[in-house]
Amino acid sequence: MNLAVDHAWVLPFLGLALLPLVRLPVTGFDAPWNALLPADAQSRVWTWLIKLMGVVAITGLVLGLAGLHREEYAVDRVGNGAHIVLLLDRSQSMDHSFAGRATSGAEEAKSAAAERLLSEFVSERKNDRTGVAAYSTGPLFVLPLTDDREAVLAAVRALRLPALAQTHIGKGLLLALSYFAGQALTGSRIVLLVSDGAAVVDPDSEQKLRKLFKEHQIRLYWIFLRTLGSPGIFEIPEYPRDDNASVRPERYLHLFFESLGIPYKAYEAENPAALRQAIADIDRIESLPIHYQARIPRLDLTPLCYGAAGFALLLLIGVKLSEAESWEKA
Amino acid sequence: MDHGAGFSAGPALKLSTRARDPRFVCLALALLSVGVTLFHPTLKLSRPVFDHIVVVDITRSMNVADYRVESRSTSRLETVKSALRSALRELPCGSRLGLGLFTERRSFLLFEPIEVCRGFEAVDTAIEHIDWRMAWGADSRIADGLYDALNQFQNYGSNLVFVTDGQEAPPLNPRYKREFGAFKGKLRGLIVGAGGLSPAPIPKFDERGEAVGFYSEDDVPHRSSFGLPPKPPSEIEGYHERNAPFGSERVIGTEHLSSLKEDYLRQLADETGLVYRRLEKPEELSLALKSPEFARLEAVAADIRWLPAGLALAALVVLYGILPFRLR
Repeated sequence: MNLAVDHAWVLPFLGLALLPLVRLPVTGFDAPWNALLPADAQSRVWTWLIKLMGVVAITGLVLGLAGLHREEYAVDRVGNGAHIVLLLDRSQSMDHSFAGRATSGAEEAKSAAAERLLSEFVSERKNDRTGVAAYSTGPLFVLPLTDDREAVLAAVRALRLPALAQTHIGKGLLLALSYFAGQALTGSRIVLLVSDGAAVVDPDSEQKLRKLFKEHQIRLYWIFLRTLGSPGIFEIPEYPRDDNASVRPERYLHLFFESLGIPYKAYEAENPAALRQAIADIDRIESLPIHYQARIPRLDLTPLCYGAAGFALLLLIGVKLSEAESWEKA
Repeated sequence: MDHGAGFSAGPALKLSTRARDPRFVCLALALLSVGVTLFHPTLKLSRPVFDHIVVVDITRSMNVADYRVESRSTSRLETVKSALRSALRELPCGSRLGLGLFTERRSFLLFEPIEVCRGFEAVDTAIEHIDWRMAWGADSRIADGLYDALNQFQNYGSNLVFVTDGQEAPPLNPRYKREFGAFKGKLRGLIVGAGGLSPAPIPKFDERGEAVGFYSEDDVPHRSSFGLPPKPPSEIEGYHERNAPFGSERVIGTEHLSSLKEDYLRQLADETGLVYRRLEKPEELSLALKSPEFARLEAVAADIRWLPAGLALAALVVLYGILPFRLR
């Protein structure tokens, strides 16, 4: 907690505050013989008060002009929150509706539904640090973990724009995990994967992913936006010959995630309502205590300075109004 | 019990007599001014801020190291990134910056414009992380990417800043030219040309992303072989309808080298109503981005409390410092 000023060059004018100590604002006049006047404790008090008021008035004005404020500072708080990386699938199929068609008036695209509900999610969770990563054919670094909710919303809103090409999930996951490198281990660390499909994770990435998920103590949530009629992640194929990673990449990605030995939960959402349900569920689970730094914003102290100066001046005016007239005029 | 500087026990004297006392006038003036200050007077001012969506070309030719920054050769992309980061620092608060990437034939928005002061760290880190490996395709269809950007970002109310070296790859077939008519003048903004004017080799990377020399003549197509040939068949040497629709001639050009195609970018700027600027030094970008033609005037309430407060202080200085001690 520090005090600071905006315009330091004004501060030397504080020297002016010494003036009231040597001069009085009241009109002096000669008494026939000052020594005749008895020492009077009340007068002394008044004299000092008048001087003090002058000092306060000038000091207040100078500090106000200098822009005195308390600087922004951070305090450690414990609250409910998490470090969340939103990993968003930006492959072309995300722009289709849940029914698997190009969107028409009534049907919402999967990406649009995700945008709407994720925006709500981000806006409501006040203590999270959120990062955004995306992937298509390549991994796309969007925003680092940040407290700036407006920035995160700006990145989530970009989901409304057309998506890109293919799905390369391995690279996307590696990118999402890289966000946690060098971050203090506090609160829960979450990767929230929102996708409508999956692809085979190449063996090279697989090894790295196994290691990193453990190392960073990640909790993984996968919201699978299932297109109507397509096989889900929990469904076991009818024919054993179909039970392989290239026919059912979703199911095998799910199995891979389960084998990681980390807290993991998958949701299948076939419509916006189910997506909302999944997000609400995650919101409920992920309210573990987290140490976070709350920012106490800058406090402007100039009204206080001007107020003090005003009060002092008011008293001085009062003194002035009850001033005796000089003997000569009287 | 009257004394040197004393008080009368009686009622206050009439105000008219007080008004003749310069000390009283000074005090009253100071009190009045401070009173005004407490009401926090402001003045409506407008100041220029800048909203930009910056789209950065991340195709392979942007890896060409033909900039020299502090006597080290630096790639076009790295130079553009450091230029953008210093521009971000210099945009006035209230400005907003959105970031997009161009490759293949698409412009992809990473995030909508974010306020540059509150969001500085996030945006700065995002710029730092731009990498050619983010590319989702290998083509470099600049006219198409620019068209896509103009189309997608037309309703954001931001300026478009499209940063590229102008290298179309594979080469364009002049028969299929992008028409910008519908978008001309819809968005204000810049086409920023990055790169040197003399052809330089394009670094080549293996699938792990490690540098393995440069592209050679044989690595890249030197002419378009898409769609119908640009000339009528009778003028094409060795024309065969199925086997050699573009002719049998072996075309070797300089497409494996890359230089800034200024003429082409000027032409695109002309067709789209954008302004062309060449990026010669990283510092130049922030000047271009702060050009008055791209400003949006934002109304701000300027604090003018210093005016009455200064007046009050002046009155007190007169009272204590200038008026003679004895006043008659």
